[in-house]
Amino acid sequence: MTFTFRSLPKYSIFVFLCFLISNTVQAQTTIFGTVTEKNGSPILGANVYLEGTYDGATTTTDGSYSFTTNEKGQQTLIVSFMSFETFRVTDNVTAFSNYKVVLKEDVNSLNTVVISAGSFEANDNSKVSVLKPLDVVTTASALGDFVGALQTLPGTTTVAEDGRLFVRGGDANETQIFIDGLRVFSPYTPTTANTPTRGRYSPFLFDGITFSTGGYSAEYGQALSSVLLLNTIDEPDQEKTEISVMSVGAGLGNTQKWENASLSVNASYMNLAPYLALLPDRNEWQKPFETLAGETVYRQKIGKGKLKAYAAFDTTNFNLVLDDINFKEGVDFGLKNNNFYSNLSFQTPLANKWKLETGGSFTYSNNKTDYDTAVIDSDEKSVHVKAKLRKRFNSKFKLSFGAEQFLTDYSERYDAPFETYKMEYDTAITGVFTEADYIFSKKIAAKVGMRGSYSQLFKEFTIAPRISFAYKTGKNSQLSVAYGDFYQQPQSEYLKYTQDLESARAQHFIANYQYTANNRIFRAELFRKSYHHLITFTGEMAAYDSAYGTDGDGYAQGLDVFFRDNETLKSFEYWLSYSYLDSERTYLNYPTAATPNFANTHNISVVGKYFIKDWKSQVGFSFQHGSGRSYTNPNVEGFLNQKTKGYNNLSLNWAYLLSQQQILYFSINNVTNFKNVNGYQYADSPNAMGNFDRSTLRPSADQFFFVGFFWTISDDGTDNQLDKL
Amino acid sequence: MMKILTYICIALFTVTATAQSPYELGMNKAFDLWKDNNIVEAANLFERIATAEKENWIPVYYVSQINVLKSFGEKDPTVLKAQMDKALDFLNQVKTLAGVENPYVKVLEAQYYTAWIASDGMKYGMKYAGKVGTLYNEALALAPENPIVVMGKAEWDAGSAKYFGKSMEPYCKDVQKALDLSVDYTPEGLFYPKFQKERAINFLENNCK
Repeated sequence: MTFTFRSLPKYSIFVFLCFLISNTVQAQTTIFGTVTEKNGSPILGANVYLEGTYDGATTTTDGSYSFTTNEKGQQTLIVSFMSFETFRVTDNVTAFSNYKVVLKEDVNSLNTVVISAGSFEANDNSKVSVLKPLDVVTTASALGDFVGALQTLPGTTTVAEDGRLFVRGGDANETQIFIDGLRVFSPYTPTTANTPTRGRYSPFLFDGITFSTGGYSAEYGQALSSVLLLNTIDEPDQEKTEISVMSVGAGLGNTQKWENASLSVNASYMNLAPYLALLPDRNEWQKPFETLAGETVYRQKIGKGKLKAYAAFDTTNFNLVLDDINFKEGVDFGLKNNNFYSNLSFQTPLANKWKLETGGSFTYSNNKTDYDTAVIDSDEKSVHVKAKLRKRFNSKFKLSFGAEQFLTDYSERYDAPFETYKMEYDTAITGVFTEADYIFSKKIAAKVGMRGSYSQLFKEFTIAPRISFAYKTGKNSQLSVAYGDFYQQPQSEYLKYTQDLESARAQHFIANYQYTANNRIFRAELFRKSYHHLITFTGEMAAYDSAYGTDGDGYAQGLDVFFRDNETLKSFEYWLSYSYLDSERTYLNYPTAATPNFANTHNISVVGKYFIKDWKSQVGFSFQHGSGRSYTNPNVEGFLNQKTKGYNNLSLNWAYLLSQQQILYFSINNVTNFKNVNGYQYADSPNAMGNFDRSTLRPSADQFFFVGFFWTISDDGTDNQLDKL
Repeated sequence: MMKILTYICIALFTVTATAQSPYELGMNKAFDLWKDNNIVEAANLFERIATAEKENWIPVYYVSQINVLKSFGEKDPTVLKAQMDKALDFLNQVKTLAGVENPYVKVLEAQYYTAWIASDGMKYGMKYAGKVGTLYNEALALAPENPIVVMGKAEWDAGSAKYFGKSMEPYCKDVQKALDLSVDYTPEGLFYPKFQKERAINFLENNCK
């Protein structure tokens, strides 16, 4: 008994202690329930837990979860899962028993519908991206020009002798180019007849390109047909020096980085003289094309904001004798162009999810043209300033609004032996815009915008609504529609003679279908565009004695198809574009409605790139076909009454990577030496037989060869590569 | 009977006395789950710990890293984007908590961009390769004797050299250096990133014979 007596208290202490321990175990609360999607299907792998504790569980295949906690009282239960909005609820822990949670899909995830009507993107963060950043420089026919790469997309027409972007039956002036949201007033390099122009700016400066062939945002005005938006790189990845040596010139670039700032400087010099000495073209050059260009970008972080300053200068000159059927000896033509573009932009987040984007651009362009005995000296100064505020109210609703001002000051002096005159004008256009983006669900999204614009020159106020809507028709497919009104004032070549005009107007109707799956993308887009108040004039060409008006009109309608496949064939990527276009307009000095010579009916592009790993090479081809373009044959009745034969061009390129940092690049344009015809020039007066003679307008060269060596020197280029040289 | 009870209770108490803190318990459990290839649960547990430990960058680091590593070889673009967004979100939190002048943060960020490059070299190669190189250089400048940094940089450099058919020799030296450094290397703190010894040995066996 003693034993029992002595041992009992001990025993009970242990029991008591052990009881205490087990008691804490019993005081745990079990939290359990299920997590499902809206349609009731269970979610596997969701993280369910109490905020601020480690207590939680992962849902199983049937969406169920269960875990225990020692927490008491009010607690916050969190359920998080990727591509869904995080769910949170605060209640007493005991309430979370058989607790059913339904997660809402996160509308910002990749499989949410996006408005794709009209726009093509070349970047890597977009859901509708059709080109990759590298495509811009590795497309065979593009010759390193971003404009050339975009011409392989549907919606563009082949106007081989011009080189600018002609979109859906619009002329090249109807496309506007913006860098970081600010307009570029003279984006193309000057050129001569039958030699295509190029974009002035280096493709390596941009990491996002959006090319819209219609129905674009209310933020962009003064563009009837299309906008091309170029975004400069936010922050260069490293310090580097870039050297390029090409068959047509050389370039040098350097990037420096500091803690909160970076500076890039590029310079290039091109001279076609050596190339033309080796491979003469059809022109009779007196001074071959020569250009010197420099550009610089400075980026600085200011708090959470980003400041970018961009400046580019280039000077070009050349002199040649132009063939002209009316002048046996040809016509002397010379050009000196100086162009300066600068752009300052600042963007910063503000309180309450507001964001400010503001900036200004300034363009100065001076052209001295010698044409026969006349000298034309023109000067254009343009300014664009803009401020935009954007607020993200929640993941579904975004609102933006802003205001901008365009100013242009143009003057031109014409000096010929028997006449001299001076023309000038100033324009000021004020624009305001607002736009709301609303994502109703992962399946439905809409964008509604409005743009108001006042032209001081015309004392005219225009209102342009823009609406687009997207609906997801299936897991991989979607339908978008868009409508918009677009206004643009006439070009300086008419404004310099008269300012008693009004803005031209275009209406876009677009329906787009897009299917994306497994690295393949298919798009088809139907469009109709109607033009009103296009510029008209009387006489052979626009001159001071012409009578001007804005009662022209027209339409363009058609179908654009695009298919890209990166999957089917290993290491091979290709895309196909087809555009069908039906367009007629009455404008300029057209006596009747007719299809303008820049609007051909069929355009086809095929671009392919094959990566040969063993050769460290990428070989590519691009084929372009454009059906015949209209011209007027005065020997037959009618206007724009005949068509040239179709245009064909097969280009090949080969990029060979000598090392990570050295690339050797070859390309040949028009390998098969197809004899393309751009049009015909007819004599002003008939010959003895009563017929008008003609000469064929051919490209200045049928073929073009390009050889370039590009070398990047940076910190992470390891020693052995440098030693090799 | 008494004896057994006593032992049981003593055992129970000792466990409680020398027991790991909830943080250690949680982290160890998460690493065990990870080791057992139970990646979803491991990621979820790291995330729970990260949410509870508001000032500690270590669990946040692992949430980001586990999502980066999962993304290597992910074919579905929707899943890839969601995972990488999550990785980036937590990477940004690590940057705030640990500061950007931390070699592990640099290495993690380099891994993040490497995962993008691995998903589509044509698309991201040109854009991010320079960035990754710079991050490893910066990490190495901060911690030249850290085997994890030395190893990470060597692997990255070797990847591109291999592609261009260059000699592996300098990188074999670097990996060997990392291995040598790891002998005297002790992590700066509890649950700091560990040196992957087997990975280094495998590298040497596969590339340096």
